[in-house]
Amino acid sequence: MDFGLTQPQELLRDSIARFLAQDVGIERVRRVMDSESGQDEAIHGQLGDQGITGLLVDMDRGGSELGMQEAAIAAQEIGRAAAPVNFHSAYVLAPLLLAGADAGERRNGLLEGIAEGRTLVTPILDAPVQNGRVDGTVLYVPDAAWSDAFLLESGGSLHLLETKTAGIDIEPLQTVDDTRRVAEVTFSGVDLNAAESLGGSAESTRRAVYAAQIAIAADALGAARKGLHIAVDYAKERKQFERIIGSFQAVKHICAEVLAEVEPVQSLLWHTADAWDEGSDEIDHFAPLLKAHATDVASHAVTMTTQVFGGIGFTHECDMHIFYKRAGYDRQVLGNPTALREQAAAAMYA
Amino acid sequence: MLAEPFKRDKVPPIMDTSIGSQYDELRQEVRSFFAANEDVAVPAGPGFGGDASEVRNRVVKWQQRLVDAGYAGREIPQRYGGAGREPDALASLVIEEEFQNAGLSLGMENQGISMFVPTLLHFGREDQKKDLIGPTIRGELIWCQGYSEPGSGSDLASLRTSAVLDGDEYVINGQKIWTSGAREADMMFALIRTEADAGKHGGISYLVLSMDTPGLDVRPLMTMTGDASFNEVFFTDVRVPATNVIGRPGQGWEVGTYTLRFERNMLGRSNATENYLAGCVDILRETGLIDSPVYRDRLLKLEGRVQAMKYHQLRLLTDRLKKRDSGAGGLIVKLNNCQLNYDVCALAIDAMAERGVLRRGSKHVRDYGNWQRNYMYALGLIIGGGTAQIQKNIIGERGLGLPRAPKPAAVQSPRRP
Repeated sequence: MDFGLTQPQELLRDSIARFLAQDVGIERVRRVMDSESGQDEAIHGQLGDQGITGLLVDMDRGGSELGMQEAAIAAQEIGRAAAPVNFHSAYVLAPLLLAGADAGERRNGLLEGIAEGRTLVTPILDAPVQNGRVDGTVLYVPDAAWSDAFLLESGGSLHLLETKTAGIDIEPLQTVDDTRRVAEVTFSGVDLNAAESLGGSAESTRRAVYAAQIAIAADALGAARKGLHIAVDYAKERKQFERIIGSFQAVKHICAEVLAEVEPVQSLLWHTADAWDEGSDEIDHFAPLLKAHATDVASHAVTMTTQVFGGIGFTHECDMHIFYKRAGYDRQVLGNPTALREQAAAAMYA
Repeated sequence: MLAEPFKRDKVPPIMDTSIGSQYDELRQEVRSFFAANEDVAVPAGPGFGGDASEVRNRVVKWQQRLVDAGYAGREIPQRYGGAGREPDALASLVIEEEFQNAGLSLGMENQGISMFVPTLLHFGREDQKKDLIGPTIRGELIWCQGYSEPGSGSDLASLRTSAVLDGDEYVINGQKIWTSGAREADMMFALIRTEADAGKHGGISYLVLSMDTPGLDVRPLMTMTGDASFNEVFFTDVRVPATNVIGRPGQGWEVGTYTLRFERNMLGRSNATENYLAGCVDILRETGLIDSPVYRDRLLKLEGRVQAMKYHQLRLLTDRLKKRDSGAGGLIVKLNNCQLNYDVCALAIDAMAERGVLRRGSKHVRDYGNWQRNYMYALGLIIGGGTAQIQKNIIGERGLGLPRAPKPAAVQSPRRP
C-alpha cells in the first residue's frame, strides 16, 4: 500500500512548480490576458525545454513516456499558475490521439515537435468530415489562431490539416477566462488527400478524451487550491474592526469548508489517473465522475474564497478573479458537471 | 528535457494500492471464520434490526467471537484480553475489506471500545488495564462518557461538576448532560474538577466510576429519533475511590482530549457511508428512479463525494504507514463523513417518497426504519463529538493557521428586543 505520489513524482511536481513560479509568474499571465490575441508565443518552447510538453510522448520520439499521473501533476501546477496554455488539448489529447494513429513519418515528426514544444497541434473532436472532405463550422476550438495544425477526429479516424490550408477560416472568440482562448473555425469544403490520413481508432480516442478530462480536472483543482491559498494569506493580514479577519468565524469557516471540499479531490484525482494508467475499465465511470466532481468543487471553492477578499475580490487588480475564471473555463470544456454525471451514471447504472 | 529520475524506466508506473500476497492467508482465515460463525453473524448497513434485546444479544455474541478470533481488540495485549497482534495497518485493512465484501459488521463501536480503551492503554495503571479492558472489548462492560454539562458544551473546559478529596475518596457533586447510553452503561469515564484553583484546564481529573454508585441519578432525555439514548446524570455526594483516577489528578484535560481524538476517528469512518450508499442505490433500482436523470444527478453528486473520501482515507492510511503527519487532511474527516451520511440517508428517504414518512415499528416501513432513524442520528453526529462549527474552527486554526478569535474583554448579554 502506497497511495500517493512517489518521490520522483514529488520531485517532478516541485520542479514544474519552481519553473512556473520563476518563468510564468502572475505578471506574465496578466500581460497575456490583457493582450488582444491572448497568445504567449514563448511558453510552448519553454514548456518543451522543461520536458512538460513531452510527458506523454514515447521516448523514441523525444518524450519521457510517462503516464497520466505525471500529466495530471503538470496540469495541476499549470492550473495553480494559471499559465496561458491549453495543456489538456495540446499536450494530452493531441499526443495521445497521435500515439493511437498509424506509425509513419508524418506522425513521428508531429510527436517529436510536440515533445520539443515547437509544434502546436489542436485536436478537433467529432469534426465535420464526410466523403473525404471537411465542410462546416466548428466552435470553441482552443488555440486555433496560432496552432500549426488541426488533428481532425471523426468516428475514431484521424486526419491532419495545416491550419494555413486554403479553405480554413479562423475567427477568434472572446472568452471570460483570458488565459485560454478559443476560436470559430470554418472549413469550406476542404479536400482531405490520402497523405493527411493518420488512421486512429475509436478506442484510442475514447482513452485520449478521458485523459484530457482528467487533465482539466487537475487544472481546476490547482486553481481552486491556489485561490484558497491566496484567500487564507489575505485573511491572515487584513484587519477590520481592529481584528485580523481570519479570526472571525464567518471568514474562517469559509476557508475551512473549502479546504474540506478540495482536499479529498486530490485523492480522487490520483485514483482516476491511476485507473487510466492501469488501463482499468473503471475509467469509463471515474473520468467523467472526477471531472464533474472536481470542477463542481472548484467552482464552489473560488466562489467562496473570492468573498474572503470583500470588495477587493471583485477588482481586476486582485488575482482572485484569474483563478475564478480559470475554474469557470475548466468547468465547461469537454463536458460540464451535469452532463458528465449523466455519462458516469450511464456507465455504472445502465 | 526531464532530468534522469523522471524517466519512465526509473518510475514505478502504477500507484500501489495493492496489499500484497503475504496477506492472502489472512483473507482465507477471515473467510473461514465467516463460514464457521454464520449462526451469529451481524450484517452491516441498514438491513439489520428487530427486537432490541435480541439485537443486543446477537451483537454481543458476534463481538465475543470477533475478539476470540482476533478481529476485534486485535492489537490489544493478550494480558488485557486482546489478541496481542503487532500493529499492522495493512492487516487491519484486509480484515476491513473482507468484512465489507461479506456485508458484515466489524463489531461493536461504542465509547468504551473505541474511545476509553485506547485512552486507558496510554494513561492507565497496570491494575486498571487488567481489570477494565478485557470485559470492555468483549461487550460485557458498557461505558458512557461524562463530559458535557448544561453550561459546558463546545466550551468543555468550563465544566463545573466537582469533587473534593475526603480521606481516600472523592466526593462528587454536579451534573452531566447528553450522556449517551447512561442507563445501559455499567461504568462512566468522566471529567471532574478536582482542584478549584488550578485554572480552567489545570484542575480537571479523569475519573472512572460504576453507574451503581449511590448518589448517581440518571434521567433519560428523549432524542428526536424517538430513542431515549441521551440522559442527564446528577451527582449528589457520589463517593468514588481516589484510585479511580486515570493518569494523574489534574491531568484530566490532557487525558480527556486524547479520548476525543478517537471520537473524531470513530465518527468519521467511511465504510458505513459506502454501505449506506449501496443501500440507497438498491432503493433507487427497486423504485425505478435509477432511470430518472434528476435522481441520478443527486446520486452521482453523492458518489463523487463518497469516492473522494474513500480515496482520501487511503491517503491517510499511507501517511500512517509512513509515520507522516497528514496535517489538515486528518482534520476534515469527521466534518465530511458525518454530513455525507446525512445526505445519503436524505436521498434514500426521498426515493421512498411518501413511504419515507414511516418510522420503526410501522407497517410498510422499509429496512426497520433504519433510514429514518439514521437520518436523524446522523444529524446528531454532525452536532456531537465537536459540532461541525467547532470542527471548522479546528480546521481553520490548526489546518490553515488562521488566528483564534480574541477573548472578549467582557461578555454582554444580548439586549432583549
